[in-house]
Amino acid sequence: MSAIHPDQIMAERLAGTMSAEPRRPMNPETFDGTVIDDPSVRPDLVLGNRSFGEVTNIVCGYTEQKPGSWWLPVFCLTSSIAGLTGLMVLYLAITGVGVWGLNNRVGWAWDITNFVFWIGIGHAGTLISAILCLLKQKWRTSINRAAEAMTIFAVICAATYPGIHVGRMWMAWMMFPIPNANKIWPNFTSPLLWDLFAVSTYGTVSLLFWYMGMIPDFATLRDRAVMRMKRDPNQPPMLPILSVKADQMRAYIYGFLSLGWRFSSRHWQHYEKAYLILAGISTPLVLSVHSIVSFDFATSVLPGWHATIFPPYFVAGAIFGGFAMVLLLMIPARELYPNMKDLITVRHIENMAKITLLTGSMVGFAYAMEFFIAWYSGSDYEKDVFVFSRLMPPFLAETFGFHRHAPYWWAYWAMIFCNVVSPQLYWFKRFRTSAFWVFVVSVLITIGMWFERFVIIVTSLHQAFLPGHWGMFFPTPVDILTFVGTIGVFTTLFLLFLRFLPAFAMSEIKNVLPQASPHHHGHGHGGDAAGGHAPAAHHQGGH
Amino acid sequence: MSMDQCHSTVGELPVVRPRAAKHAQVGVTGKAYWRSVEDLADTPDFRDWLEREFPGGASRLLDSSRRTFMKLMGASLALAGAATLPGCRRPDHKIMSYSRDVPEEIIPGKSLFFATSLHLPGGSVEGVLVETHEGRPVKIEGNPLHATNNGKSSHWAQASILGLYDPDRLKDPIFASEGPATPRSWDDVKAWSKRHFAKFAANQGEGLAFIVDKKRSPSRDAARGMIFGRYPNASWVAYDPIQNDAAIEATIASFGKAMREVLHLENADVIVAFDRDFIGDDPDRVRNQRGFAAKRRVLDTTSGMSRLYAVESNYSLTGCKADHRWAVAPSAIGAWVVALAQEIGKQKAGSMPKPVADLVDAMPAIRGVAVDSAAVRAMAADLLGAGPGKSLVLAGPTQPAAVHALCIAINQALGNVSLALRASGAFTVRYREMGGDEAASSVQLGKLAANMKAGKVDTLVCIGVNPVYDAPGSTDFAAAFAKVPHRLTASVENSETIDASTWKLSMAHTLESWGDSEAIDGTLAPIQPMIAPLFGGKSDVEVLLIVADAPVTDGYEFVRGVWRKRLGETGFEKAWRRALHNGVFDEAAAPTDATGAAAAAAALPKFDAAKSATLLAPMKDRVPYTPDGGKMDVVFAVGMPGDGRFANHGWLQELPDPLTKIVWDNVALISPATAEKYGLKREAATAKKRKARMVTLSVAGQKMTLPAWEMAGIPDNTVIVQVGYGRTVCGLVGNGVGFNAFGLSGNGEPDTVGGINRRFAAGGTLERATEGDRWYPISSTQMHGSMEGRAIVREVDLAAWNKFGGKPSYKDTDHYGQPRELKFAERLGELVDSPAMVSAYVNPQRNEKAPHNPAVSEMNELGETPDFAFGHQWGMSIDLTTCTGCSACTIACQAENNIPIVGKIEVNKGREMSWIRVDRYFSGPNSGGVDPEGVMFQPVACVHCENAPCEVVCPVNATVHGPEGINYMAYNRCIGTRYCANNCPYKVRRFNFFQWGTKRYQGEYVGRESLKEIGIDGPANHNLIPARLREELNEIQKLQQNPDVTVRARGVMEKCSYCIQRINESRIEMKLRNMKSIPDGFFQTACQQACPSDAIVFGNIRDAGSRVSKLRDHQRSYLLLGFLNTRPRTTYMAAIRNPNPSLVDSARKNLWDHPFEHGGHGPDDGHDHDHGGGGHGEPQKHGLLGYDPSKSFDDRGYRMSLAVLSGSAGGHA
Repeated sequence: MSAIHPDQIMAERLAGTMSAEPRRPMNPETFDGTVIDDPSVRPDLVLGNRSFGEVTNIVCGYTEQKPGSWWLPVFCLTSSIAGLTGLMVLYLAITGVGVWGLNNRVGWAWDITNFVFWIGIGHAGTLISAILCLLKQKWRTSINRAAEAMTIFAVICAATYPGIHVGRMWMAWMMFPIPNANKIWPNFTSPLLWDLFAVSTYGTVSLLFWYMGMIPDFATLRDRAVMRMKRDPNQPPMLPILSVKADQMRAYIYGFLSLGWRFSSRHWQHYEKAYLILAGISTPLVLSVHSIVSFDFATSVLPGWHATIFPPYFVAGAIFGGFAMVLLLMIPARELYPNMKDLITVRHIENMAKITLLTGSMVGFAYAMEFFIAWYSGSDYEKDVFVFSRLMPPFLAETFGFHRHAPYWWAYWAMIFCNVVSPQLYWFKRFRTSAFWVFVVSVLITIGMWFERFVIIVTSLHQAFLPGHWGMFFPTPVDILTFVGTIGVFTTLFLLFLRFLPAFAMSEIKNVLPQASPHHHGHGHGGDAAGGHAPAAHHQGGH
Repeated sequence: MSMDQCHSTVGELPVVRPRAAKHAQVGVTGKAYWRSVEDLADTPDFRDWLEREFPGGASRLLDSSRRTFMKLMGASLALAGAATLPGCRRPDHKIMSYSRDVPEEIIPGKSLFFATSLHLPGGSVEGVLVETHEGRPVKIEGNPLHATNNGKSSHWAQASILGLYDPDRLKDPIFASEGPATPRSWDDVKAWSKRHFAKFAANQGEGLAFIVDKKRSPSRDAARGMIFGRYPNASWVAYDPIQNDAAIEATIASFGKAMREVLHLENADVIVAFDRDFIGDDPDRVRNQRGFAAKRRVLDTTSGMSRLYAVESNYSLTGCKADHRWAVAPSAIGAWVVALAQEIGKQKAGSMPKPVADLVDAMPAIRGVAVDSAAVRAMAADLLGAGPGKSLVLAGPTQPAAVHALCIAINQALGNVSLALRASGAFTVRYREMGGDEAASSVQLGKLAANMKAGKVDTLVCIGVNPVYDAPGSTDFAAAFAKVPHRLTASVENSETIDASTWKLSMAHTLESWGDSEAIDGTLAPIQPMIAPLFGGKSDVEVLLIVADAPVTDGYEFVRGVWRKRLGETGFEKAWRRALHNGVFDEAAAPTDATGAAAAAAALPKFDAAKSATLLAPMKDRVPYTPDGGKMDVVFAVGMPGDGRFANHGWLQELPDPLTKIVWDNVALISPATAEKYGLKREAATAKKRKARMVTLSVAGQKMTLPAWEMAGIPDNTVIVQVGYGRTVCGLVGNGVGFNAFGLSGNGEPDTVGGINRRFAAGGTLERATEGDRWYPISSTQMHGSMEGRAIVREVDLAAWNKFGGKPSYKDTDHYGQPRELKFAERLGELVDSPAMVSAYVNPQRNEKAPHNPAVSEMNELGETPDFAFGHQWGMSIDLTTCTGCSACTIACQAENNIPIVGKIEVNKGREMSWIRVDRYFSGPNSGGVDPEGVMFQPVACVHCENAPCEVVCPVNATVHGPEGINYMAYNRCIGTRYCANNCPYKVRRFNFFQWGTKRYQGEYVGRESLKEIGIDGPANHNLIPARLREELNEIQKLQQNPDVTVRARGVMEKCSYCIQRINESRIEMKLRNMKSIPDGFFQTACQQACPSDAIVFGNIRDAGSRVSKLRDHQRSYLLLGFLNTRPRTTYMAAIRNPNPSLVDSARKNLWDHPFEHGGHGPDDGHDHDHGGGGHGEPQKHGLLGYDPSKSFDDRGYRMSLAVLSGSAGGHA
């Protein structure tokens, strides 16, 4: 052991007084050294030549140290916005669904649009944690925890809507298959019921997956709190009137959440197995949830809804929108927590941008296929929906001499621009490796994916079969505020997550550190004493 | 209910008839007890009647405890009213339970029907049956025995039940002359009037004036006689704001007497209507619709149908049904009539009465009016070709007397006129002498107003009229009214006139009073009360009797007295009882014994051609005014709320206008070209599509501001304004709805060639309102008028039908190789390409021979099989040829099924609740400014699909299929996901977005005062107030609701149930009578029952003999959107039009030989199409994605051609 206590080194490195020693010279063309065009070179997934202990300190630091001065104002803002949803739902409940802009022509609008939007957002989390895990994509490790958290929060936001959009929400329990005296069961042929099962399964499995992944990290937080308490028994209390100390609270809560995790090999063995099993269970869910959500539309008779392409198209769209949302959350987080840039590198961003480009192109292909099928079907009702409910802007209609145009043409074209055109920037490395541009495109994609659901739902409904009963939908302030409120709920929950939960899977990140590799002969890894609790199997290789 | 309701349809009814009759008598005693028992009980008539009717119970009835049912009900209902209106009734009657002395007629839960009749705006009369539940009237239906109704009814008759339960009704007589307005009792009224009118008895009635509503009522005439007996010099004005003075004047000229026209359209093969909407706003429209439909109901290919030409300014229902229609400014229509008369004279020399013919011949071609001479030639040839007594030429209320007189002369020349008392022989129009009140000209009102202004009137009695609101602006009536010192007004509803009166007398509603009526065709009908007056009002006759200080002021006794005199003493009781039961007085009882009839016949007026010619003479001298750039013709049409008296009836305010589909407003209808000219174009942009510019319309110095609305099919420089809107004092529903146009209409000063009358004004000017130059929101239930080329309403010309309709069903195979048969109408549209045997059910309509699916034909727990081969299988057929779009079905459904109104703001959002709506489509090219070639109406309610898309998607099993093929809606089970509505291709499901069912429309709510203070009142949507804070339905309003139908809560989906309550009641009756099944016609659904043209037929489709089965199998039947394989139980029958071959172009004629040209399906059409996969005669495509931009209506890749309808697209083949 060196003379300098590892904690001291760590403290200096964290404070920036001691520079991390780069393992490889930075190539200015490769941005931060993680984006390398040479496929034979495996660049680092964690920058800054971090040791195990440093990783632990960084991740635990988010919950143990006071956040920057931005945190409280931002939290207050987002939680007040979240409060709007509460108020709006209360108003809706005591007044009636009519406070929204729905009508007898357009029975669903923002409610189901938002539901599908949020559910779609959730897909990236499960995809990253399950499918990428099974595919052994190592770069997933530093984003999976946050993406899973995002999934949970998105499902919370999404699950609100089916509950509150019904006319008699106090009777919504009749959806559940509860045996009752009248022997009336729910209608198992209804896609809405499949939705209920799909979403609740998805939410449950995602929650389990997320929570289980956090257990070792909770234990780390617990142990660190206990150690600090032992070192410094005279900590000040959390609040002057409260005699409880912060580390006491941490030890208690994280101790409870870590379910007695002791970092034993047996624990790790069970954990790894369970993790794989959950990943296996989750993988079909990624595909099933949005497929089933798409059945709400695909099984109906409505032109614009009745389409066999919907399940794959919805899944691709969901992954597309979900990755955009991960980027939308991680890019600002990187800026707000500077040392997060070592964990979430430009390579992560680029990889996600590539997936976005792929899925965005799939979505664009689906849009084109919808038109082809509408034409190929020979059904005038189908063609009419695509041309005169979606595509046709007034100026084009005038040019072609049509007597009408699509009233929601702007929504359709907004969707096309955001979802099909804007990701095309990612063909250029310059854009997909620029945090700024990726952020801008992600914002556009998120907007575009909302419009996609709006276009599918509202434009198909408002001009259906009988022109005598066509109508329009206009949102009311309640519609808008309810949706804005759910954004508040989502961001508030995410802020709380960053503040109080281990935002990165420490053990998994340590797995992808060079030190964890059995063939690694570089710098030794400090931080053993600092509580780097990597799996034992990997420890051996390092020594 | 069903049993009573159907005595029209089921031949004999041994049980119910006497029951109803007896009950009517019981009602008499109840009512009498309640009012003035001492008087009544002591009259010899009463004793006599009692002894005869109830010999056993007479003594009991005479003792102090007369517990008859009506008494109890009257008392309890009044107390129910008193509970919410403290102080308005002293609780001086005991409430007795049903536990003792229940009349045997009363079966709790079972409705009873009583006959009465209604006076409606414009002098129309309808005979009705009123459904009562435990003594409470809930629904009005047409009386099958009344010649006007024949079991049908108009939307006004249906909606007038709301007047009875109007919470804003006058409740007590109010005296407002001295000091503050205070409620008084009727004894006070009587005492005051005895005192006050004594001076008129002394001075013969100088300074006493009466304004009464125009109606034909023997008892009112008798009361008028009593008034004149006591006050001989009083002035008496009978007045109707929408009357047709010109027609009266013309008959006086032609026949020497004021005569009323009775149309017999069932005899007319050729009809020419000059601005005459005999279907839509004619007083006799219910009868006219029936007669018209009789000649249009095409069931075979040989009988043919009538042909209707319409030359009109407003786009009326008549114009919509016309085979040829020309939009002509009302002032120019006269020229068309002259041209037609000349042409008839030319084609058949000498057929016109000589003086008229001479005059017409001498008339120069009228300058400035382009008459389509080819059209006139064709009309004349058609009229003459129809033969005597088979054609009809009609003039409408906008036309001057000269035009009416000319039409009478033409009809006379064509041999269409009958002056016989009884309808017999070949004729299409009959004239009957008018009563004194009926013949009154509206000029009299102007004269009276002048007298009032001059201070010559001391006391004015207004009964059943509202002249302060609806008098012509030129009379300045409100000012004149204020000059009269004593103003007595009797009215059922609150009104502007009531507001300005010194004595505000609460009148009894028709359903609460005794009276009688004479329909246009002379049918005499009694009016009897269904319930004791809720607020103790008096009928109009009773008010007159009080004013006349008559010895008998009881309405019942007086009306009986009138009829005792009229029917004669012998057998009076029997005849009276029969009349009360049947709802009509026997013709034989009328004073037409042999000698009387002969005398009457001898006294009949004769057509006087020379006198008729005198009316025409000015036309020769004066060129009719035609509107030019600066001036407009203004037409006053009658809107859904009638002449304004129904303004507080929410159902009518929310009933869409048939053409514009606008609710809760009247607009200035103008043509697109006129809109362009005045800068009034609506913006095409979606957000402003529903908003209109405000305009100022001026006529002869009178002005009004209202929104302008453009509609194709209106002549240029013509404004159509509906009257009856803009009430300011009528109640929470109607106050401030729309704009009052009565001020612009004239006072009927005679002007033979145009000018101003109550329905037309020449020389109006229109300008965009400077003040309030803003977008005014308009609520319309249908903004899109084009079918977009879809085979929704299918329509062909008669020639094509005659050629192809008689052929047997066309057989081929579908995509899946399954054999199928196609009917004529099915071949006109999209084809059902679904495999034949995929349904879980065996469909009796498709003769499927395959074995049942054992999984579903097993009995379920309820012992039912879901197989449609059992029991009753309900179905409906709607004939689009005879449907006139009158919307009576919508109101009937609303009344039957407790459908709430939602208000203008909510309708604007698309949340109207009507279970049956009438879609309106224009046909023809849709390029701007071009008049539509036709208008088609299609009533759409739930079609009860056998493969219902709504059922599979409901997550909670709230909408499920019944064994009889009905798509049930279980309200208790519904949680309101609205998925069913989204998946319904017909969009017939209605969602309760708010708590409309039990909350009062526009009622109070907690916090309203505070909102008023910050300026939010009125325009705010009061539905956005939480339901708990809103005012509950008034107890009075609750009485109206049908106890057989659930009142839906918020958050629940609802829709047409095929009147399941009526089906179930019939089923119970069937079981009680030990019948095997419900016979055809045993009951009717509410819409079917109202439909005046009998376009809706309902019944058991498994019964091969039922009407609906036959219509369903008819070659004209098709399934709406049948290609979706929803298998609707409601079928539509394709519409047939009968254009004149000489007036249609060759392209349209070509389609008569090739009606399936675009459908291309079958060998007859001469096209060799591939019937294999997908090749179902793909129509020729144009432009992008198969759309032809220039033919937006008629070639859009559908298989039928709307070209068949519009005749404009022959060139595509």
